Amino acid sequence: MAYKPQYYPGATSVAANRRKHMAGDIEKMREVSDEDLTAILGHRAPGSDYPSTHPPLAEMGEPACSVREVVTATAGAKAGDRVRYVQFADSMYNAPATPYFRSYHAAINARGVDPGTLSGRQVVEARERDMEEVAKVQLETEMSCPGLSGLRGCTVHGHSIRLQEDGVMFDMLDRRRLENGTIIEDKDQVGVPIDRKVDLGKPMSEDEAAKRTTIYRIDNVAFRDDVEVVEWTQKVWELRTRYGFQPKN
Amino acid sequence: MAEKEKMFKRAMEIKFTEEFGDNKQIGGTITGKTAKYLRLGVEQSPRKVEMKKAGQEIAKKRGLVAYNPDMHCAGIPLGQRALTPYVLSGTDIVCEPDDLHFVNNAAMQQMWDDIRRSCVVGLDLAHETLEKRLGKEVTPETINHYLEVVNHAMPGAAVVQEHMVETHPALVDDCYVKVYTGDDELADEIDSQFVVNINKEFDAEQAAQIKASIGKTTWQAVHIPTIVSRTTDGAQTSRWMAMQVGMSFIAAYNMCAGEAAVADLAFSAKHAGLVSMSEMLPARRARGPNEPGGLSFGHMADIIQTSRVDKKDPAHVSLEVVGAGCMLYDQIWLGSYMSGGVGFTQYATAAYTNNILDDNTYHDVDYINDKYGGAANLGTDNKAPATIETVKDIATESTIYGLENYEKYPTVLEDHFGGSQRATMLAAASGVSTALATGNGNAGLSAWYLSMYLHKEAHGRLGFFGYDLQDQCGATNVFSYQSDEGEPLELRGANYPNYAMNVGHQGGYAGIASGAHSSRGDAFAVNPLIKLCFADALLPFDFTQPRREFGRGAIREFVPAGERSLIIPAK
Repeated sequence: MAYKPQYYPGATSVAANRRKHMAGDIEKMREVSDEDLTAILGHRAPGSDYPSTHPPLAEMGEPACSVREVVTATAGAKAGDRVRYVQFADSMYNAPATPYFRSYHAAINARGVDPGTLSGRQVVEARERDMEEVAKVQLETEMSCPGLSGLRGCTVHGHSIRLQEDGVMFDMLDRRRLENGTIIEDKDQVGVPIDRKVDLGKPMSEDEAAKRTTIYRIDNVAFRDDVEVVEWTQKVWELRTRYGFQPKN
Repeated sequence: MAEKEKMFKRAMEIKFTEEFGDNKQIGGTITGKTAKYLRLGVEQSPRKVEMKKAGQEIAKKRGLVAYNPDMHCAGIPLGQRALTPYVLSGTDIVCEPDDLHFVNNAAMQQMWDDIRRSCVVGLDLAHETLEKRLGKEVTPETINHYLEVVNHAMPGAAVVQEHMVETHPALVDDCYVKVYTGDDELADEIDSQFVVNINKEFDAEQAAQIKASIGKTTWQAVHIPTIVSRTTDGAQTSRWMAMQVGMSFIAAYNMCAGEAAVADLAFSAKHAGLVSMSEMLPARRARGPNEPGGLSFGHMADIIQTSRVDKKDPAHVSLEVVGAGCMLYDQIWLGSYMSGGVGFTQYATAAYTNNILDDNTYHDVDYINDKYGGAANLGTDNKAPATIETVKDIATESTIYGLENYEKYPTVLEDHFGGSQRATMLAAASGVSTALATGNGNAGLSAWYLSMYLHKEAHGRLGFFGYDLQDQCGATNVFSYQSDEGEPLELRGANYPNYAMNVGHQGGYAGIASGAHSSRGDAFAVNPLIKLCFADALLPFDFTQPRREFGRGAIREFVPAGERSLIIPAK
């Protein structure tokens, strides 16, 4: 019987959404062009070549190495791309993703990525074109809501802050805003103005965000009501605790 | 059952629904999920306006730019949200956020000064050496005389030398030596000005515990001048003490300064009975004794004196230790010695402002008392068993209660805007309350780790990766017997391997260590000598109520020691 990963316990919609993020089984909801993505990431001018830190691997004459033979280099590594980042902030008011599930998504579904997980932001570092692939997937699918999620390289605060009156996550640097029903971004990740207005699409309705979210909240799916998740967490803690308590050793 | 009014309600109203300074934030509720962001910048805060003006004056005076809030985010200053005040937990003091940075708060500085400049040194070995090796008679009269001499000498005055320079007493008036002993008869015969009176400072039960612990031994609590300690470091404290103690013995007992026997006295009087507040650190951290990195959680719990004055409220005792510990370990140790700048204050203040941790902890106390027959109340025979089941139950209830507060009260979530702040608050509440229930610090520590796991799974986030990696591996060492990875919580400290760069945790751990003992009514957590050293109202910082003292520092009412006004031009 083929192995089928059992990504996460739980009987609620939040648990199911967590499993979807981890499995990469996510619905595409919007389109962001490659040039627009490049612009808001802010690492290079849209349309320009990828800067590199070393020649393409094919030209480097790599040493004989069994690991190198087994592991196929990613496209970015093959080309010698720089390592660059994409960083998301997700509101605790039912943004679809949460930092750990963005990390799990990247780590399980992409190669050559280095996810970093914080409370208010989540960063993925990878060779530039590999990173862009992850960024595009996360931006265009149900993992993100343009109103409740955002690309933020610095000054990220917003995830825990009350929403603006228009329901959009607060952004001190005002990188993006609601205009005519869609979210428009005119600054890059670190708040530097860009030469275009990138249309990130319509924010999710409150109901839709509540349906797609991976955060437990008492006003949606309460953590205490997902008994299997609570008990599984307690079990992990108990096993680790008992393992460390070994006076016989 | 109707929900009790939240202890943080008023603080949240002050913070988020009322105008403070000129932030124009009036109205709304503390449960609303949206807010109007006026983006008024720093001009809304009286303190930031004062700081901006000061920065401009400094720049003009020195011809070199200084503080300029327009440098923030390329011209987008702080204050895009409303700049809101803080309420010191357990008090009615409301203050400017900036005034909780230790640089802006004289009380915070003095708390650390008072710890760093203190040491305990035994008198008995010195007295034995005097009697047996030097043939001197030691009586209550000679002890009184010695104490008079040493209180002259300790601040930096000469006793047997001639033509010496000395320190000006008005600069070192915070320096003194007192003694304490478990021998009531001896204590009665020593001039009361010199005595930390155990029977007066502690209730009868605690006094009996202390006296039983230290027996008839006699010890000096030495507090060298703040100004000396600030100019040097913590490791200097015992050296300064040693020099002045040695000279005072020579003077008080009319000894020859050069005879060989004095070497024996020097060792027995100055070093053999020395107890520092904290241990020296390994070379990679390069700090001597009496620096915060070597301060164990048990010592921290003993330094704070709330257990003497509010014994009937064990939760309060622990909350004061959490507050003091977070300030010292986060703001001063990790936030300054080990790092620098502004960020660490935010971690610490979450634990001692706006009554959020207090609300969670007292909720837990009610829960425990209902379910475990008053186990969180003062007592020794009322405790819940320190088992996996107890920890699991209390930590789960405590954590989910706190998580739901963040979910029901968006202003509370906004106040603890960082996940590390929330993680500290939730885990500290779980740990402290489990320690209160069981009287066991390691059971409390175990609750800390379960709380971290539950928090992470509930919100899909915890702290930043340097914050919570320890929390994701720490459960395995809670009950470890390996000496380099497991110890009773009271003996762990800021340099314990997993905790060494662990912002936002150490004050919580100190509070848990305290909780295990405060709920039993213990006179001390780990060391009666440390408890006694600070059981003294003469210290500038009031260790019975550190959170109030931080508030007094913030509103500029606290008067510190070690000031240099006497020797600098008047402004």
